[in-house]
Formats: sequence, C-alpha cells, structure tokens
Amino acid sequence: MSIIQQHTQATLSDAWRTINIDALTEDSSVNFDVSTLHPPLPEVSEADARAINGQVRQLLRGGDAEGALRGCLEMPVYNGSEAAKETHLHTVIEVLQSIKASEMTPMLQRIYAQQGGSECLDVLMKYLYKGMGATSSSADGSSGRATPARAMTPQATGFSQVGQRPMAANESTGSAMSVLLSWHEKVVEVAGLGCIGRVMTDFRRV
Amino acid sequence: MAAPEVHHLFHHPIADHSFSADRQTLAIARDTQVELYGRVGNAFKLKDELKGHDKLVTSVDIAPNTGRIVTCSQDRNALVWEPSPTGYKPTLVLLRISRAATFVRWSPSEAKFAVGSGDRVIAICYFEEENDWWVSKHLKKPIRSTITSVAWHPNSVLLAAGSTDAHARVFSAFIKGTDQRPEPSPWGERLPFNTVCGEFLNNSAGWVHAVAFSPSGDALAFAAHDSSITVVYPSAPEQPPKAVISINTQLLPFMSLFWNGETEIIAAGYDCEAFRFQGGEQGWQLAGTLEKAKAGGRPGLGGGGEDGREESALNMFKQMDLKGKVSKDDTQLKTVHQNTVTMLRPFEESGGKVTKFSSSGVDGRVVIWHT
Repeated sequence: MSIIQQHTQATLSDAWRTINIDALTEDSSVNFDVSTLHPPLPEVSEADARAINGQVRQLLRGGDAEGALRGCLEMPVYNGSEAAKETHLHTVIEVLQSIKASEMTPMLQRIYAQQGGSECLDVLMKYLYKGMGATSSSADGSSGRATPARAMTPQATGFSQVGQRPMAANESTGSAMSVLLSWHEKVVEVAGLGCIGRVMTDFRRV
Repeated sequence: MAAPEVHHLFHHPIADHSFSADRQTLAIARDTQVELYGRVGNAFKLKDELKGHDKLVTSVDIAPNTGRIVTCSQDRNALVWEPSPTGYKPTLVLLRISRAATFVRWSPSEAKFAVGSGDRVIAICYFEEENDWWVSKHLKKPIRSTITSVAWHPNSVLLAAGSTDAHARVFSAFIKGTDQRPEPSPWGERLPFNTVCGEFLNNSAGWVHAVAFSPSGDALAFAAHDSSITVVYPSAPEQPPKAVISINTQLLPFMSLFWNGETEIIAAGYDCEAFRFQGGEQGWQLAGTLEKAKAGGRPGLGGGGEDGREESALNMFKQMDLKGKVSKDDTQLKTVHQNTVTMLRPFEESGGKVTKFSSSGVDGRVVIWHT
C-alpha cells in the first residue's frame, strides 16, 4: 500500500477548516488587546453627563440652540458607563428635537465651517445612528437594553418644545425617528458621505 | 490641460500597474498572472504574460534602471523577473511568511525591495551574492495587523508602511553590506534595522490604505479609511513631530496617493476620480478634482458615441414603449474611471514636479493624466 494516504469520503472532511488558527498563534490579533493601539479616552461619569445636560438646557432656554448643539457635540461620552452614554444621548436628542427644520441646514453649515466643525458633525452622526438604534429596538420591544423608549420622551423637568402626550410610545418613537432621519439627511448634505464612513470606521463609540 | 489618455484593457480589476522607465512597457497585475503590454502607437497591446504565481497577484513593480520586475501574490511568494533575451526569468524570493503578500516596492537604489504581508511582517528582501539568492529580513515590531502598503524614503533606508491596525509607521530597513549609511534626517540619525522612527494614528483610526514620503523625504502623508489624509512633519529624532495635519473630507476613502512636489498631494480612491490637496506645514486643504467635466461628455470615455447619445423624441417614445418610463442611462459614472481607483503612480516628471501620472482601478482601465 502506498504511503500516500488515500482519501475517501470519510477521511476527507473539512473539519480542519473550522480550526481557528489565529487562536493558536501567540501574537495574533485575537490574543492581543486591540484597545491598547489607541490612546486612552477620558472617562466621563454619569454625573458629568448630567452636568452637561444641565448646561445644554440652560443654553436652550436662553434660545441659543446652536451653542447647545455644539456644546453637547464637543463633549461626547466615549468612555463611560452605559447610563452616562444614555444620558448624553438624551441630551443630544433633546437639542435636535428643539431645532426647527428650517434652521437645520444653515446651522450645520455654520458648524461645519468652524474650526473642528467636521468632527462635530461626525459626532452628531454617531448620535443619530445611536438614536435610531434605540428607537427601533424600543419599537419591536425585543431588546433587553435599558429603557430605550425613555430616550425619546422628554423628561418632566425639561422645557422641550415637543408636546408631551400620554399616548403610546409608538407615536413618540415614530416622530423621534422622523426627526433623526431629517437630521441625517441634512448632515449628509453638509458633511458628505465621508461622514458616514468615519462613523463606521471610528473606534470611539458613543 | 490636455485630455487624459484612457486605456481600457479588459473587464477585470487591476490590482496594480507599473510602467517601465521608457514608458513603453506596462505591467498589469491581473488575477494570477502579470501581463506585459507594449505601446503600439496610441494603444497598449498585450506582449507577454508572466505566469508563476498560483494565487491572485497583489502587487507589481518594475525597477526603472535594471528593468527587473518584482511581483508578490496571495500565494505568499514574491518573484523577481529578470529580463533576458529569451524573455523574463523568474527567481523565487524567500519571504518566510505564512499569509498573503500584499504589497511590494523596489527601493530607489533598486538593491532591495519591501514586501508587506498579512502575516504582520514586512519582508525586506536583498540579493545575497554568495548564495546567489534573494533573502529577506523581517520588520516585525510593533506591527499588529496586515500591511496594506509600503513606500520608500528617497535614501532607500527608511520605509513607511500603512497597516490595518490603523497606524502609519516609519521603519529603518537598513541592510548591512547593501546600504550606505544614510545621512541624518529628521526621522533619525543612527538607524539600525527595525528602528521605529515614527508611529502615527489619525483621530478616528481607520485602516491606512496608502502612505507616501514627500520628494525630500521630510514629510509623510497617509490616507485612511475614514476619508482623511494625514500629513506628518517630523521635527527631530525621538521628538514629537512638528506638525500632524489631518484633513477630513466629504468624500469616500482614498486608496492611493502621491506627492507632486512638497506642496501638493494627489489622491484617489472609492470616488473613482483623483483629487488635489494643497498646503504645507501650516495646513492642508482639498483643492478640487482633476476630472475636467467638458460639455458634451467626458474625454476619451469608451471611445465616444456612448456619451453623446442623442435624446431624440423617437428614442424617448421607444424607451417608454419598452420600459414604461423614460429611463435616463445612469449606469455610467460621470468620471473617467468607472470603478474604484486602486493605484496612482507618477508617470512623467520634470523639474521636481509630476507632469503626468497614471491610475488604475477595478474597472480594468489605466489612465494617464496631466496634473
């Protein structure tokens, strides 16, 4: 018999293909903490996020919607607890909901033209996607995440212009989604497709 | 500005292209082979096929002076093709890598070349006279992922590499016996092999697709998947750089770039057209596209006719009859390239400026542009 192994249907399996060879290589990427490749990001606590929320509301009350928007986009919560991130998402969405549709594009153009404006719009895009994720998961109700619906309804203390009705969450998520979608359209108009690409590539998640 | 010269070679992606020094021969990496095209009048005709790889050829480079062609492939090998009267003779290079080779470039001295790989190493290959054999040394640390592209410094010692771990790095690839001791530069003074002279990351840390040194070698540019271009000006060895300038664009990511003098960078990628960036240490900005939209269609696209199709009333009713609606022919892009541009190379230079450059892409076209 030949020393060359005769393959039959039984011996010729493709089980070897399922071996994760990366796990066996000592210095491969799966055995390496990729987060060490990036500089560490400052940590933001929930209290800080609430403080930002307070300041932003004050600006909103004072009628400075643009300042409020810029303010919350300049201090995104990248490194923080889920609650802190959630709080900041509320802050951003609150600001977005309080800005009139006709003011969106000029405001975005002004922000984009400023120093660091491109980054601000990238951050805004991240929050838009996060907001859409939160609203859609609350709509089907299957998500186990912490009270996403709450993200959409203005808090009782707020001076938000969105009417508060005891109606079902569905309606409010629907309207919140339409706000996010119209913002999305406007942001792409101003910051281009590059903005979407950056949100997808960025390692800093909101 | 003259119209670009368009060569539609085939309907297949071009991984890389390279012109010989006399610009009469064009090497194209197509699938598992390299095709050599010769210039016949205004066109390029297939002359020769270099068959030696058994997986996709990822990169090809012709050394301008010696005429040697180096190719690398996903079969983990690199071949050096030596020109001879009877055709090109391949020599296998010992790369010692266990993943695909992704990118290869001759050093300006043409005594060695660098091969980037998916094995988290860059193989620096040089010819060993006593063994009559191309051997390699590995640049390993601190690469954490696949190398997407490499670029040589004009001194043939420093090498820039872009990686999918989001870093652009500058290494010393000094080989004793092959290289002259380099002049001190802002990148470093003493440069033993595998010295890391710089490690750069941009804000959002996307994959780095392309790297390039400026003509003087004192600045480095890289393009990343976050649609940005970053230019780094080193100050002195072991010091933080003088300036790191990142330009985020509204466009899709760039796949390739090169410097045109010290104050201009030309880049192209997923937008299927080339863009010009201008600036210096104080700042850079996008200056616009190199595509010239002319009235009555683009120059050279598909040999005319296609574009200038008349929208006659007859045609309109025919369309309505056939499809039930008036359909605009929107299957063609408004750019010369009809798909992603994957490689840009300087084609003709004079007085330190690139006067013409060539591009190749997924659409099987090679285009020669005027800057």
